[in-house]
Amino acid sequence: MNTLLAILWKDLVSEWRSRDRIVAMALFSFLVVVVLHFALPGADPAEVRRVAPGLLWVAYLFAALLGLNRAFALELENDALSALAMAPADRGFVFLGKAAANFVLLAVVQFATAVVFGLAFALDLVPVAGPLAGVVALGSLGICSVGTLFSAVAVRTRYREVMLPLLILPLLVPVLLGAVSATASLLQGERVPFASIQLLVVTDAVFLIVSFLGFEYVLDE
Amino acid sequence: MPASLPNSAVDRAANALRLPTGILLAVLAGAWLAAVARAPLDSVQGVIQKILYVHPPLAFAAYAGFALTAIGGALFLWRGDEAWDRLARASAEVGVLFCTLVIVTGPIWAKGTWGRWWSWDLRLTITLLLWFVYLAYLLLRSFTEGSERAARFAAVYGIAGLAVIPLNYFALDMAAGRSMHPENLQQGSLGAGMGWPFALGAGVCLVAFTQLLARRIEIEALRGALAERVAGAPTGLERSS
Amino acid sequence: MTSGATALHGAPVVSAAGLAKRFGPITALAGVDFEVGAGAVVAVLGPNGAGKTTLLRILAGLARPSAGAVRYAGGADRRSARRFVGYIGHATFLYPQLTARENLHFTAQLYGVEDADARIAKLLAELGLEAVADRAAASFSRGLAQRLAIARALVHDPRLVLLDEPFTGLDPVSADRLAARIEALRGAARAVVLVTHDLARAAALADRAIVLVGGSVAFASSGAPRSAGELEHAYRSALDAA
Repeated sequence: MNTLLAILWKDLVSEWRSRDRIVAMALFSFLVVVVLHFALPGADPAEVRRVAPGLLWVAYLFAALLGLNRAFALELENDALSALAMAPADRGFVFLGKAAANFVLLAVVQFATAVVFGLAFALDLVPVAGPLAGVVALGSLGICSVGTLFSAVAVRTRYREVMLPLLILPLLVPVLLGAVSATASLLQGERVPFASIQLLVVTDAVFLIVSFLGFEYVLDE
Repeated sequence: MPASLPNSAVDRAANALRLPTGILLAVLAGAWLAAVARAPLDSVQGVIQKILYVHPPLAFAAYAGFALTAIGGALFLWRGDEAWDRLARASAEVGVLFCTLVIVTGPIWAKGTWGRWWSWDLRLTITLLLWFVYLAYLLLRSFTEGSERAARFAAVYGIAGLAVIPLNYFALDMAAGRSMHPENLQQGSLGAGMGWPFALGAGVCLVAFTQLLARRIEIEALRGALAERVAGAPTGLERSS
Repeated sequence: MTSGATALHGAPVVSAAGLAKRFGPITALAGVDFEVGAGAVVAVLGPNGAGKTTLLRILAGLARPSAGAVRYAGGADRRSARRFVGYIGHATFLYPQLTARENLHFTAQLYGVEDADARIAKLLAELGLEAVADRAAASFSRGLAQRLAIARALVHDPRLVLLDEPFTGLDPVSADRLAARIEALRGAARAVVLVTHDLARAAALADRAIVLVGGSVAFASSGAPRSAGELEHAYRSALDAA
């Protein structure tokens, strides 16, 4: 448990001092929002409202992939990854610490992106802010769990930046579908269907378990 | 000192299966082709319908292949025996072939019957996602430096890939309305004279899969033994000055 | 110079038998037996590519051997043994954004060190890092970074200290300090494995020396080398014989 908090603290403090990852992620997702706007020229508001949830999650996915790619770059710099591999604690907690740090950073970026998104597509997200935050959190949990696991894998392959999306995008389909469905209901002013939440929760649970256990083998030489 | 060929249960099974499956394959394939040629043409779909003799069994082999990949990987992580990794890798390489055939035969049949090359119906989509996972698995193996590390990484990914299949199923089921995919999985709905070609087709696929798998495992084992032999004798002190 | 008979001092802290490590077709280690006891310094010499780093990484628990077994004192397995192993490798394992003190604190938390603040203060003082304790590690010179890496490896007071070419690139004063540190570790009944190309230092510090060539032990001294010259002679003979 100590390990988890130590790593979480270390990652957040390092990020706070350099701020390079979070700025890059935020800037990138703002650009994606702008590009998406240009991708739908002259669409009427009803149409936009229909596709908005998907677009928002596309922006979130891109930001997450960017951030996750950098997650272990910090550890590679002075081979700190080997130091983590030698730590006596259960490696699952190393994973949780890293995933928690990624989650926090992603959450900050997602909040900023939501604001920009609302402005760009003339959507008022304030009334559903609370439930939306919950849905986004559930989605990010899924993304950050397998994302952190396979970021540690991808960072030690050739073409590391390309490897991560190749690995996790097929895995993230359930997360994406559940999150988009839930977000769509919220934006339509309806109740979130139980099926979406159930899908998200089950997927998150499965991913967390697989990642927690799998990290043990991923940190080995 | 020559390295001996690996002798684990997996390798022995692969060796033992070679001849029987080879013979069986030749016999079944012959019988199947004959049966397919003689099977009556479907009144509505025409000759395209004959793809159905092969498409579902191919899909079954593709999914079984990935299950073997994931299980082989898990056993490798648990036991550390390289033979399990050979099984996982061979299964992935053979499985991706079958998966590709599914994705190719599906649209061919679809175009012939519904006039559209692609549809996002549940079964086709989930197989497409499996295909991507297969490819990512193989890319991961080739892009990782170090065979032991590659085996470990791939094993973890294989397990994740297997875990996501049921999740994908529920996700796509929830997202879609009705499926365009024909629901006819029972023998009876195939119509008269179509039972034998279908059963034989299933047999051919399974046996072909097993045969290819066994051969691939053998190749991998031989490759490993050869590399060890080329690398030379273990102790440096025995080298002549 | 201690004689061979007492070189093993305390009970073995780690012993390995028949260690082999293969990376695909390449054999890095081919059947190595190794043992080091408390209060002993073992020097591991050899040309590049001989398997020295591989051996150290296996002892540190970073890599799994392809064959052979490693046993740690008290019957600890690879995972629990991590708690009392300290490793200094070619990389510093430091986080550039964190200060020296924070780097040490992070490691202390990873290892569950009790009374971390006091221990860190002591280490900073011993290694002459007090002046830069609150500067970010990114700004450190090579010598300073090396010293911080040593402090980091010793935060949890490990019983087994593995050093991979620690003298490389150190100025003479820092090198002397490091040598003194190794002596202090020996005095505190710690087991030290020292990989180095510096034959003079090895001869001065080691209770025993082994030479690895091509993944095997080409030479193992029965006791402490009497002089740098003797060690060099043994080293060259081992190279020629292999």
